[in-house]
Order: sequence, then structure tokens, then C-alpha cells
Amino acid sequence: MSRHDGGVSRRAFLGGTLGGIAAGALVGFVGADSAQGSAPVAGGTDPTLQYPFYGQAHPAGVATPPQRHCLFMTFDLTTTDASALQSLLARWSAAFDVLMAGHELGTADPDRPHAVPTDTGEATDLGPNGLTLTLGLGPGVFDDRFGLAARKPAKFDHLPALPSDQLQDALTGGDLSIQACADDPQVAFHAVRDLSRLARGVAVTRWTVMGFGRASAGQGQTTPRNLLGFKDGTRNIRSDADLGQFVWHDGQDQAWMKGGTYQVARKIHMHVENWDTDRIEDQERVFGRDKRSGAPLTGTGEFDTPDFAKTDASGARVIDPQAHVALAAHENNGGLKILRRSYNFTDGMDETGQIDAGLLFLAYMKDPAQFVTLQTRLGSSDALNEYISHVGSGVFAVPPTPERGHFIGEALFQ
Amino acid sequence: MQNPTSSRPRTAAAAATVAALAALALAACSSGGGEPAAQPSGSATSGGAAKVAVTLTSAGGADACEVDTTSVPAGPVTFTVTNKDSAVISEIELLAGQRIVGEKENLAPGLAPVSFTVTLDGGSYAVYCPGAATDTVPFTVTGQAATPTGGASAILEAGTTTYATYVAGVVASMVTSVDALKAAVDAGDLPAAQKAYAAARPFYERIESDVAGFVLPGADPTDNSGNLDYLVDMRASNLDDAVGWHGFHAVEKDLFEAKTITAGTKTLAAELDANVRKLAELSRSLTYRPEDLANGAAGLLEEVQANKIKGEEERYSHIDLVDFAANVEGAEQAFANLEPGLEQIDPDLTATVEQRFDDVRALLKTYEDPTALGGYRPYTAALKASDSAKLSQAIQALQEPLSSIAEKVATAR
Repeated sequence: MSRHDGGVSRRAFLGGTLGGIAAGALVGFVGADSAQGSAPVAGGTDPTLQYPFYGQAHPAGVATPPQRHCLFMTFDLTTTDASALQSLLARWSAAFDVLMAGHELGTADPDRPHAVPTDTGEATDLGPNGLTLTLGLGPGVFDDRFGLAARKPAKFDHLPALPSDQLQDALTGGDLSIQACADDPQVAFHAVRDLSRLARGVAVTRWTVMGFGRASAGQGQTTPRNLLGFKDGTRNIRSDADLGQFVWHDGQDQAWMKGGTYQVARKIHMHVENWDTDRIEDQERVFGRDKRSGAPLTGTGEFDTPDFAKTDASGARVIDPQAHVALAAHENNGGLKILRRSYNFTDGMDETGQIDAGLLFLAYMKDPAQFVTLQTRLGSSDALNEYISHVGSGVFAVPPTPERGHFIGEALFQ
Repeated sequence: MQNPTSSRPRTAAAAATVAALAALALAACSSGGGEPAAQPSGSATSGGAAKVAVTLTSAGGADACEVDTTSVPAGPVTFTVTNKDSAVISEIELLAGQRIVGEKENLAPGLAPVSFTVTLDGGSYAVYCPGAATDTVPFTVTGQAATPTGGASAILEAGTTTYATYVAGVVASMVTSVDALKAAVDAGDLPAAQKAYAAARPFYERIESDVAGFVLPGADPTDNSGNLDYLVDMRASNLDDAVGWHGFHAVEKDLFEAKTITAGTKTLAAELDANVRKLAELSRSLTYRPEDLANGAAGLLEEVQANKIKGEEERYSHIDLVDFAANVEGAEQAFANLEPGLEQIDPDLTATVEQRFDDVRALLKTYEDPTALGGYRPYTAALKASDSAKLSQAIQALQEPLSSIAEKVATAR
């Protein structure tokens, strides 16, 4: 699969067998004009789906239609040497391009017997599977370690303590983040594993969540369900106009962020055993929606606009003012929206014998205050709070995509 | 320590000494480390060193490695490498046959150019850029270099001899310390035996990758009853019921869990003493190639990751950090003996590994406790829970560069 696989001959450029993958996926290196690739085929996914890395208006993995799986990992920098950070960002950027094209990072099977394989090999022959790699820089990058304090955007800092937070230190923070999403979970895992190798000695892994099953709809996708069984992301941002208004950084304040965005990651534990014994009437009250159709309790279709003022015969609101849909609605938050790109996760069982599962909440916005505003409200009074706990958290600046020949965040060092 | 099913039986003479220096030995004196290089100045000889510019490019996915001159006179040559826009090519090597005489790694688009200088004899070389469409560019050096001196290969060979002396010394100390353990057990003195146990363990752990895998003469390599590593160092978790439990950890259980010395303990200690002596005898014939030192060091670090950090090695005495330190010391000794030769082949890698060893040593120092058995804090469940990730990450940071040493030294002849 790798075009520089050394198995037969190092010179056999493009000469390897492509396994079951269409040759077009490799030869037709994606051009800049197909920025969003194509949406996954209904009922299945296309292993040859490939997104370009270099030269895009915005980072991949944000407006990209959510793939089926996503691995999110954060890192702490152990170096205090700005050139080591620079070198890591440059190596990662080049690796993003290679991995997103579905190639091996170097080779999994070197010719020379004493050589250590540079690629770990488990994604060989699988195809790109729509892999996107998205890099985030935590607020710590702009502290006094690397001389980058002057480059810190004014709006960017650690998130404040928010109502109902039950954050665990081991699941919070990080100097760097990598979001690796793909339609094949092994492709996403491979990417993060091999990128972690490149970081050794410079950064150490901090926390990670392996998400399965997208729990937010993107452009052109049907709305998926979260682990509480409800459609999630019905009212998510879908239009380019909303992306421009709420998601993409305009470069004011810090020019290096123009076209980039901010990423908020939350590991949200769901108390599924309790939820599973709750009566349907209450479950629907908590969300403010019908469980099967996803329609707001004031409507009949999923995409009907909720009528938050509507009352029943007794004068009570049909949609509880504390329902999740009510508190999160842009109508009730001064028009505020964020782009959600969440995934369901499970970590197996917890120490009490309960299922350890929930939502890897990932969201993108042009100002982290958008999340703070929404979560302050939700954390204070969301009816859903009885069934969820925010246990992990991080906020990251996602720089724009570099042009070919450059690397992510290069402008920071100039 | 090895799982009984995965032991690598090795006869004493199998790791043979390498033949003499290859005739075409080159003095590959590198300099220029990782500093950004001066602007490439085309091909030419100036100030005594020939200059070669290598540019890595990507044109429509066909990555190329452009070398601006492919013939230079013998003597010092400076290669300046600029990665213009190739995401695929992350390293270049200058090869003499299969031997790496100079290289640069961690190349990526957007970074400043880097350079390395090597002193080359006349002959045929190749610039190898893994990932390029045409990944090998022939490179010719005309004439002869001024003074070919010993070269990396000879220095590495000298290092293996010094390392063999180190191993012999550790083996001798291991025998003495196990004798002392046996004596304390025979005397029924529990505190003295516990102390002697902790004192004896580090010797085996320092050289484990060299001595693990010996089978008793004439024994079937798949039968654990003749596997000395099994007989000396098997943990309770990997027992072969047909052979039963012998060795250090069987003694450890009596001394630290049961806290009683029985007739059975005395039998185990005597057996351990006899087996360690057999091991000492067999190890006398060990010889090493440079890559054995590199692979041995990597093996010791794998031991740290697999057993010590998990607290599985010293389940009853909790002196895992004592073994940890001993594994690291053994790995560092092996590296130190390669270092003078490796320095000539790859000064960047040498400096990185040295730095990472320093980091690990500094971290270990924070766990020292002169009042504790073996001199390190007991590796309790609480300490493991709070510190294992930090310890593991420090070892990972060392493992990654260390793992590439074997190839460098194996091809340096």
C-alpha cells in the first residue's frame, strides 16, 4: 500500500499491490478543489475516501462530515525548547499528510534486517478511510516555556470552572491535542499511535478517549443517536454561513489563527444504568424531544422548530424550560451556536461493575466563550445533569492548515 | 526475564566475535550536529570541505531527492539538506554499500536546512532518501582521503571487549551475593536474608539480556527444566507446573510473604546458588558484536516496561525500583561502550540517547531512599498508581532513539 514500501524494491514507486483498494485512491492524489471529499455512502463506507491535508481554507476534521470513529488524545510537552516543539509540529504536519493519504509513515517492513520499522503497520492495506487529523494547541503552549506568550489570542485561556463540573485531573488539560477520525477505527488508532511515537522525548500522552459511532450530524448526514438513545445534533450547524459566523477564526487579534478555530473537548460520563430504568415520559421530558422521531415535543418532524413558549391545557410548558433542547437552543442563548462533532465512547466497566460509557463531546467555535456561555447554563439547570457527569475537559486552538512546504503553527515561530 | 514459552536458547559460542575490520573502513568524522546550516551554496569546495546541497521536493505526489553534485574529491564533505515541501521524506542517509556513513533524520517541510560533515575516502557511495520516487542517488568520491584512521568499527569492537569485562565482573558479584543469600538462609536469619536478597537481585538484572536464554548443556531448549533463566528468575505468574517453582522469586515469597525460612527455603536457596554458578560458568564464553550490546540494552528497557513498571517482578519484596535501576544501569553500560564509536556514526543520536539516559537517571534519583531495602522506595500499589505513567513515559522516551542504535553499529564495518 505504501508507495515507498521497501518489500520488493525501494525504487518501485507506486509499484506495490494495492490489495482490495481501488488504484484511483492512490494515483488520484486529492486536489485542493475537493475540500470536503464525498460523504460516506449510505449503509457503508468507502475505504478509499481521502481528504487533503495541505492548502485547505480550514483544518480538516472540523466541517468534514463526521466519520464513524474518532480517537482523541492529548499530550503534555516535556520539553522547554521551542525548537523541539517546532520540530514536532513540522514532523506531525508532514505525517498528517502521509497518513491522511493512507500511506505508511516511512515503512512497516524495512529492507535492512537491523532497521526498526518506522510505521507500526496495522493500517497497511486498509486505505485512508476518510482519515482526518486535527491538531490543537493548548493554552500551556503560550505560557512562559516557549517564548510564545505574545502570540496567545486574547480570548484563549484555560476554561473556567463550570457548574456541575466533576473534572478529574488525569482527564483534563493538555498542551497538544490530536483528533483522529476515520471510518475504520484501526486507521484512527494507527495514526495516533504512530504520531505518539514521533513525540517521544518531547511530549507525553495525557488523556485519551476512543470514540465509536458518531453522535453529531454534519452536512448531508442523517442525525445519529447518542448512548441515551436520542438523536443528537439535529440542530447542529450545517450551513457555510453558520460556519463563517460561529466557527472560523477571522484572524483579528492573532493573524496566525485566521481560518482556524477553537476546539473544546469534554469527556462526559453517562449513568446509563439509571437512565435505562427511567420511564419514557421522563426521558422525553429531559431531552424535550420524542425518542423515536427526534421531533420536538411541540412538533411532529425531527427538524420542526421547537416552540418553547407553547403551553398545555394546564398552562405548563410543553417543552420543560429545563429540557436539554431548551437550554441549548440558540433562540434562548442570544443566537449563539457551536459546531458539535461528538462521538459515543465506552471504556468497558468501571470499578463498581457499571458500564463506563458516555459522550466524547467535541465542539468547534470561533471563541471559547461560546462554549462557556452554553455550558454555564446547561451545567446549572439541565434536566439531563441527573444522568451525566463532565469528567474530562480541554480547550485547544486549532491553527489553519499549512500550504505544502510548511507546517501547522509555523507562523508562531517567525 | 523471559516467559518460558518464548525463551531464546543461545549456546555460549553462538554470539561470535566479528571478523576483522572491513578493508574499506572509512573514517566518518561527523560534525555539525543539529544546528541549522548556512545557506546551501551549490557544489564546490571551499575552505577545505566540499559542499553538497540536497533538496527534498514534492511534485504532484512524486517526492524527489535532488542532489546538486554527485562527485566530490576525497576529504571532508558537508551535506546541507533542505526539505522544501516533501511530507514523505523524513530522513536521508549517505551509504557506503549497506553502511550508513552519515545521515539526517526528522526532516520536515518548513524547518531550517540542516547539515552534516563527513570525511570520505575515494569510492562509490549513494545518497538514500527513503520515500523518494527515485530514492537512491549514486555519489562518487574521487581520489583518496588524507589519513584513514581506525574508524568507528574498530572503536566499536574495542567497546565490546570492555563490555565483556563489565559483564564478567557483574557475574562474579552475582555469584558472591547469592552465596551470601544462601548463607543467611542457611543460618535462618530472616532480616539478613531479606537484605541479602535485595543485594543480590541487581546483579542479575544488569546483565539479564546477556545471560537469559542459556540452557544447560545437552538439555532440550523447549524443556524448562534445563532453562537456566527459568530456574533462576521465574515469577509465580509464569510457572510451568511440570517443572515447578525455583529461583530468586520462590525464595522471595518465603522471605517476604510467608516471612519464614523453612527447610524448603534452604533447598531453594542452595539450588539457586548452584544454578547461578552454572550460569557464571556458561557465560564465561560469551562474546559480543556491537549490535548485541545495542539489542541487549533495548532488551533491558523492555524488561523495565514489561515487568518492573507493572510491579510484577518483585511481587512480595516490592523492590521493583531496585531492579528498574539495575536494568537501566546495565543498558547504560552497554550504551557507554558503544558511545565512542556511535559518536562518529551519528552524533545527534548519541547526544539524544545520552540525554534521555540522564533524564531517566535523574527521575530514578527522586525515588532513592537509603533507609529502604535496596536503596529505593518500595514500589507499593499506591506508588504504582501515582507514578507508573511518569516512569513508563521516561523509559519510552529513551527506548525510541535507543532502538535505532543496533542498525547503526551493525552496519559500521
